[in-house]
Amino acid sequence: MTHLAQYLVGGLATGSLYALVALGVVLLYRSSRVLNFAHGDIATLGTFVAFTLIGRKLPFSLAVTGGLAAAALVGALFFFLVLRPAKEASLLGKIVLPLGLALVLSGIVQVVWGTDTLVFPFPLSDIRVYRFGQVVISETNLGTIIIGIVLMTLLYVLVQGTKVGLAMRAVAQSADAAQALGIPARRIYALTWGLAAALGGAAGVLLAPVVYLDPFMMLDPFLKGFAAAVMGGMDSLPGAVLGGFLLGIAESVFAGYVSFKFKTTMAFAVIILVLLVRPEGLLGRVYHRRV
Amino acid sequence: MRTLAKFVIALAVVAALGTTAIGQPAERGVTPTEIVLATSMPMSGPAALWGTGVGGGIDAWLRHINDQGGIHGRKFRFLIRDDAYLPPRAVANVRELVERDGIFGLISSIGTANCFAIRDYMIETKTLWITPACGADIWAGMRERNKYLFVTYPGYVDEGIYLTKYGVESLKAKNIAVFYQNDLYGQQGLLGVKRGIAQTKGAKLVAQVSYEVTDAEVAAQALKLKESKADTLILYATPRHGALIVREIAKVGYQPTLMSTFTLLDPVMFALAGEAWNNVYLATYIPVPGMGDAKVDATLATLIRLNPALARNPFNASAGVSFVESFLEGIRRAGPSLTKDRVVAAMESIKNWDGEVIRGVTYTPESRQGINRLFMVKSERGQYTKLSDWYTYPRKF
Repeated sequence: MTHLAQYLVGGLATGSLYALVALGVVLLYRSSRVLNFAHGDIATLGTFVAFTLIGRKLPFSLAVTGGLAAAALVGALFFFLVLRPAKEASLLGKIVLPLGLALVLSGIVQVVWGTDTLVFPFPLSDIRVYRFGQVVISETNLGTIIIGIVLMTLLYVLVQGTKVGLAMRAVAQSADAAQALGIPARRIYALTWGLAAALGGAAGVLLAPVVYLDPFMMLDPFLKGFAAAVMGGMDSLPGAVLGGFLLGIAESVFAGYVSFKFKTTMAFAVIILVLLVRPEGLLGRVYHRRV
Repeated sequence: MRTLAKFVIALAVVAALGTTAIGQPAERGVTPTEIVLATSMPMSGPAALWGTGVGGGIDAWLRHINDQGGIHGRKFRFLIRDDAYLPPRAVANVRELVERDGIFGLISSIGTANCFAIRDYMIETKTLWITPACGADIWAGMRERNKYLFVTYPGYVDEGIYLTKYGVESLKAKNIAVFYQNDLYGQQGLLGVKRGIAQTKGAKLVAQVSYEVTDAEVAAQALKLKESKADTLILYATPRHGALIVREIAKVGYQPTLMSTFTLLDPVMFALAGEAWNNVYLATYIPVPGMGDAKVDATLATLIRLNPALARNPFNASAGVSFVESFLEGIRRAGPSLTKDRVVAAMESIKNWDGEVIRGVTYTPESRQGINRLFMVKSERGQYTKLSDWYTYPRKF
């Protein structure tokens, strides 16, 4: 039982990161129907910027704010400079554009910061642990879970309880109708892109102290976060959170009790099963067009 | 008159062909002023710490040789291709280097799976291949096909046997666990540990826990290892995953005796794993920089002068020199008229030869396994100390 609890704790910590990534993916998909394959690379760039600012002796909070701002700026600029002019692009085009951005950003990170594995300075210790009976959790993992939940809650409040969130939802439903009602759709789109990118950056900053910083550190978490978003429902923010936590826990428990070699395989097998039963995802909704 | 004209034309054609033949380089990748060498290494991806250190070390050492005038008037041009530790990319890189760039020889290549992927191509194209950094056991049983291969790198199976024997005999290991990469590299290390256990008395393998090279974290593996209650844990991992697992097991309060393959010997591990990389027992096949060997330290100083970034990977950079220096000795011995077969003959004359970093290299027409010795070191407060004399294992190829 102790072991199960420990696997659950590990799964929760990993799942909170998957959930953060999934939220960014869903946020963008809801509003612009674009699958942002550059999400992981934008997050990596933001984390490296934060790393550089920490190296310049800036206080940690300021450095992280700078990193998230850089990620948000890249997201917003990508919308204004690429997606907006290419708004008539085909579905394939909308997939290829973020893929291109991903390659460009990955190249920039490798050229500017190199490809070595680096230690990301973090105020919480990954070695210092809290014990709850036989179950242990490190300061970093506890911080990751708490910060992840706080960020998810803030996003939920923003989207559901503020005028900006209302505008975001209106633009997501119909940009033309929202614009006719006086909502600045382009700015809302840019804000959404910036916000999603910053969320990814936050996941990167929380992940880097645990798995080390390198240009490819977001590859696995992005794939899992993306899968979590699909499992939860691509238009559901709570679904993204649920999908992230479920995936993290399933991976951890499966690895502990069945096989390490097939934990990723198992995770995606579960997703396939879920989509067979509920094609719209766990909390996604089916839209019926009225004739 | 017409016959005379035909004779003159024929003579001119023969003369022209002869001149062309003389003007052509005697050997692919060799000109009167240059020798083209290359490598395919993980300069990015999960094993980048190996590639940047080893590749950078080879590159800096060849530049050092060039600065001294090269060998027999020829300077080296060294091409590095990034394979990101992916076997398919290693294959594409090597094909390009051999067929398009026309290299004289391939220096190293990192990753047992990568070496295995390019092995048959290298043998078929009869390209000189110097010290593939991979489990040397993939060459066993291929003696008659290895004419252009020379290796100064230990096999992971031999190393696994040594680590296990040392653990059982000197550290009183009883229950052993292995944390390994789920590919040829890790599997050969695991096989070595199993054979080591079979050759000793009183120890058993209680857990073999793997990870995939793409895994971002290894928390579940740490718990599994803790559950095994092994008193000794042997690592066959990338530096990143090695650092992750020792931190994770420290986090869950599991404190076995730690032993590791030499591929994790670089002091960068102290930066990555911190205190968790204390009291780790490792095997090595070259003297570790900073451990009192003047030649090794001087070599490292030269490397860092030419490429200051190598200060971060002193062991891996020195290992790069150890990969290439017996080959440079072979080129010296081959003389000014350089051909592949002359180098092979010259390399086969190398007997118990000490380089700046590598020691005791011997090649014969029957054996391409240049070294077959290891010794043990221990990490203590950011440094390594020597624990044993050389341990010798049988030559296999």
